[in-house]
Amino acid sequence: MTTLSFRDVELLSAYIDGALRPTDSARLEARLKSDPNLRAVMDDLRAARGVLRKLPPRKSPRNFTLTPKMAGIKPPVPRTYPVLRFASALATLLLLFTFAINGITLPIAFGASAPATESYALGAGGGEAMDEALPAEPAIQLLPLSTPEPAGATRIAETATLEPLPKGFAQEQADQDSARPIPSTWQAGLLIVALALGTVAWLVRIVNDQKWRAKSR
Amino acid sequence: MDEPALIHAAQRGDLEAFNILVLTYQDTVFNTALRILGDDDQAADASQDAFLSAFRNITAFRGGSFRAWLLRTVTNACYDELRRKKRRPAVPLEPETGDGEEMETPRWMADPALSPEQELEADELEHAIQHCLNTLPTDFRTVVVLADIQGLDYSEVADAVRVPLGTIKSRLARARLRLRECLQDFAELLPGAFRLEEETRI
Repeated sequence: MTTLSFRDVELLSAYIDGALRPTDSARLEARLKSDPNLRAVMDDLRAARGVLRKLPPRKSPRNFTLTPKMAGIKPPVPRTYPVLRFASALATLLLLFTFAINGITLPIAFGASAPATESYALGAGGGEAMDEALPAEPAIQLLPLSTPEPAGATRIAETATLEPLPKGFAQEQADQDSARPIPSTWQAGLLIVALALGTVAWLVRIVNDQKWRAKSR
Repeated sequence: MDEPALIHAAQRGDLEAFNILVLTYQDTVFNTALRILGDDDQAADASQDAFLSAFRNITAFRGGSFRAWLLRTVTNACYDELRRKKRRPAVPLEPETGDGEEMETPRWMADPALSPEQELEADELEHAIQHCLNTLPTDFRTVVVLADIQGLDYSEVADAVRVPLGTIKSRLARARLRLRECLQDFAELLPGAFRLEEETRI
C-alpha cells in the first residue's frame, strides 16, 4: 500500500469519467490491481458522483419566456410613417425657407421706398421737412387782406399736404406685399400641410404600436 | 421546427422561436442555477437573466451544443447574482409551515407523481446534497454541478467557467472528495436514499 498524492486523486477522478489517455489509463489500472488504498479512493469518488447523479431534478417555478418588452424589441415602423414624416419635415423646411426669403427681400424693398416715406412724414409736420415747407408760409401771409379767407387757403393747403397720408400708407402696404416674393397665404398653407402631415404620421405610428402590442400579448 | 432551425430563427430576431427553446431548456437552466446558488428566488432571477442574455447574444452562438452554451450563460448569470448578493446580502424568503416556522426544504413544488414516502426521501436527499454543495467554494461547486449534475464533458465545463482543462480536473477531484466526506454523515441517516456502496460496484 502506498501513500496517495493529490495527483493520484486527480488521475482517479479523471479515470472514472473516462477522461484519461489510454496510456495513463493502463498504467493506473495496473496500480489499482495492486493498491487497495487507491481502489478505496476511487470508490469514494465514484460514490460522490453517483449521489449527485441521483439528485432529483426540480421543475422551474415559472416560465422564463421573454416578452418583446423584456427583449427590447420595438414594434415595426409602418411603411407610410417615414414618407409622412419626411413630407412633414420638408413642408416645415419650406416654411422656414419662405420666412428667410421674405426676411432678406423686405429690407431691400423698404430701402427702395424710403424717399416716399420721408415726404409723407414731412407732410405730417415733422423735423427737417418743416424747414423746407417754411418758405411757402410767408407767401400765404403776404397776400393782401382783402383776399378772403387766407387762413382757409392755408387750411386747404395744409389739408392738401395731409390728405395723401392714408393713401401713402396703403400704397406702402401694397408695396410691401408686392415686395414679398412669397405671399403670406402660401406660408399659411405650408404651415397647415406640415402640421397635418406630422399629426397623421404620429397617429399612424400610435395605431400601429397598439396593434403590435395587442398581437404580441 | 427542429432545434437548429429554432436557433437560426432566433438569431434573426424571432422571439417566438427563442421562447420555444426557453421552454425546452428552462428546467435544466433553473436546476443548474439552483444548485450553484442554493436559493430558489435567486436561481429564478439568474435563470431569467440568463435567457435574456442568451437572446441578446444568440448571434454569438456558432454551433456545437446549444445546451452547453446555455449552461455557460447561466453560469455567468449565477456569478453575477453572487456578486450582487455579496454587495446586498438579503435574508432568504423560505415558505412557512402551519405554525409560522420557516420550512427548510420547500415542498410546494414537489412532484405530484411521487408517493409521500418517496417525496420525503427525495426532499431529504435534495436537502443533504444541497447542504454539502453549499459547503464547497463557489468555483468547485460550479464545476461539480456542471460536470456531475448536468453531465457536461471536461472541455465544455472548461469553456463554461473559462479556466484551463487541468484546473477543471483538479477542482472536480477536490470537490468530489469533499462531497464524499460530507455525504457520509447523511448516508448513515438516510441509508435508503444514498446507498453509496451501490455506485462503487459499477
